[in-house]
Amino acid sequence: MNFKSLNHTTMEELIYRLKQEIIEALNLEDMKPEDIDENAPLFGEGLGLDSIDALELIVLMEKNYGIKLQDPSKGKEIFKSVTVMAEYIQKNRTK
Amino acid sequence: MIQHFVHITPEFAFVDGKALNHNEKGAALLTELYRAHIGDYPKFFKMDTLSKLGFVASELLLQAEGELRFEPREDRAVVLFNRSASLQADTNFQATIQDPENFFPSPAAFVYTLANIVTGEIAIRNKYYGETSFIVLERQQPQVMAQQALAAFLDPMTESLISGWLDCEDENHFEAAIFLLKKGQYDNAETVSKEITKIFNIKY
Amino acid sequence: MTNPILITGMGIVSAVGLGKAKSLEALLDCRSGVGKLKYLKTEHTEFPVGEVKLSDSEMRTMLGLPKNVVTTRTALMGMLALEEALKEAGLSADMLPEVGFVSGTTVGGMDMSELYYLDYIDGKGHMEYIAVHDCGSCSEMIADHFGKFAFISTLSTACSSAANAIILGANMIRCGEAEIVVVGGSECITKFHLNGFNSLMILDTEPCRPFDATRRGLNLGEGAAYLILESAESARRRGVKAQAVLSGYGNACDAFHQTASSPDGEGAYRAMKEALELAQLQPDDVDYINAHGTGTSNNDVSESQAMKRLFGDQVPPVSSTKPFTGHTTSASGSIEAVFCILALQHGFLPINLNWSQPMEDGIIPVSKPTKKELRHVLCNAFGFGGNDSSILLSKSDLP
Repeated sequence: MNFKSLNHTTMEELIYRLKQEIIEALNLEDMKPEDIDENAPLFGEGLGLDSIDALELIVLMEKNYGIKLQDPSKGKEIFKSVTVMAEYIQKNRTK
Repeated sequence: MIQHFVHITPEFAFVDGKALNHNEKGAALLTELYRAHIGDYPKFFKMDTLSKLGFVASELLLQAEGELRFEPREDRAVVLFNRSASLQADTNFQATIQDPENFFPSPAAFVYTLANIVTGEIAIRNKYYGETSFIVLERQQPQVMAQQALAAFLDPMTESLISGWLDCEDENHFEAAIFLLKKGQYDNAETVSKEITKIFNIKY
Repeated sequence: MTNPILITGMGIVSAVGLGKAKSLEALLDCRSGVGKLKYLKTEHTEFPVGEVKLSDSEMRTMLGLPKNVVTTRTALMGMLALEEALKEAGLSADMLPEVGFVSGTTVGGMDMSELYYLDYIDGKGHMEYIAVHDCGSCSEMIADHFGKFAFISTLSTACSSAANAIILGANMIRCGEAEIVVVGGSECITKFHLNGFNSLMILDTEPCRPFDATRRGLNLGEGAAYLILESAESARRRGVKAQAVLSGYGNACDAFHQTASSPDGEGAYRAMKEALELAQLQPDDVDYINAHGTGTSNNDVSESQAMKRLFGDQVPPVSSTKPFTGHTTSASGSIEAVFCILALQHGFLPINLNWSQPMEDGIIPVSKPTKKELRHVLCNAFGFGGNDSSILLSKSDLP
């Protein structure tokens, strides 16, 4: 599937793509997109991500979607779950 | 004197002189060993090759020791040596800042650009609150390594030591030659040095 | 320790100047050396840094090194600091075969590597700088400039490197492997770690404010400092006087995270406690603590907790001198040890510049110039990897 078109990405497509990107960026070996619940918390329980992972997600948003996040503490709200992250991206993406 | 030792290169893995079965080579060998003998630490996959090497080697060493693990303790020091410091991790991080058109410094890569992160990883995994250190040498020098490692026993709290050579140039050039030494179980640096040379077959 | 180790010489170069005298002046005048980037060629000019105010070519001239000698900024700064230390301790070239050298660095010759990296790849030369990229070469260049030392060791434990060099040198003297060991570290600013620290989002675009409620991160710095550690017996024989005494030290692992410190400051607490135990001193014997105090949200919380756990209601005066120099990473342990010794010798508390608002649950640092007779001081240096070290220094003429 070609996810390059900004205008035609549905939320479902974006969520799936985001899961793939998260798995790759955070070295979540042995995980497939199907294994990630898009509404489950990313931090704390579930995937057990840490502060460095949060920073990598900030880099991911800039690299893949052109969103620059200056304040790392905003990350807490944006990275609540894959769905919340996808909604934020859809609203703010420049790529 | 040295009861437990682990020797890993891209081609082989030995624990206490006995070869471990494997199919892979290079960094893939480390992943194979992780899955076959450890398997309960997903953070392994975030590590750079040096930390993966140190993690796998220390896990095999501690499994060979067979004592109670993961209880906080401060009586064990971790003192490691190498030549390449964090070269492979440095190269990985440099790649993320090399191209001005594609400039995305990676925090996860930067974290590993220090030789002593691997001593930190071993301490985090095992809850070791004792002394840790990392010393860079031109080559594997058992005499120097023995002297400097034994200095750790000057600390009255240190009862045992994980030490040895842990070097990684890249995914296909690395070596772990680490050992566990208990306080008082040696005469002096000279005898430890001879033992290290023998068990790891170090040639000059 | 039954046989305290003496410090018979010191040398330093940092953002506040070359040499002990300039450093003392800056500390007493409360004058910071942190400012806009001048020497490092980078686009990230928004970060205040503590650069040494000398270009590489100026340092070469001062050291008498011709242009064609292959060397790096880290090595040049190291040589300047070592020159001062050896002179103070009265160690000439012919005496060096009896002297050890333990130096800490992390970036080594990275400044040259990042300058010439593309030239290497495109086959355009400067290949001779590849050989001096690594940490060990850096120590060798610094040492070889003065003569042939008994041995050269390189420690690389990030921001606790110089402190750990002090510990290693002290241990070698205690177990009879050496009588005199030069210890310390050197580090220059590079684009590599400026970008790296920025990717961790722990750099402040304003001058840093350790232990302040509004702190937003650290400022990077660069510099070098060396101490001459010597057994009392050797100092007596050579007829040299002690600048200060190394009474104790401790190193412990925080075992919490690769780069963040534990909320209760476990590693820091253990390291400081061990230093006191080795020195056979009580918490109320400590007159001042030179904190690691980087000004990051995380460190200052963790270190405050560690100090409160160890000292209870009686935390001694604390300051971080990183607003003067920036965070000099691998060299910070020895640079700040020199500041501590200057404080011991001249009876004052270095202040914590830029502080105005107390942080929640944090220590309140020294924010006004204060004269005080000091007997024993602690100097903290914490490295990534949870490598936490604390050095206890004492006035040299205590009864």
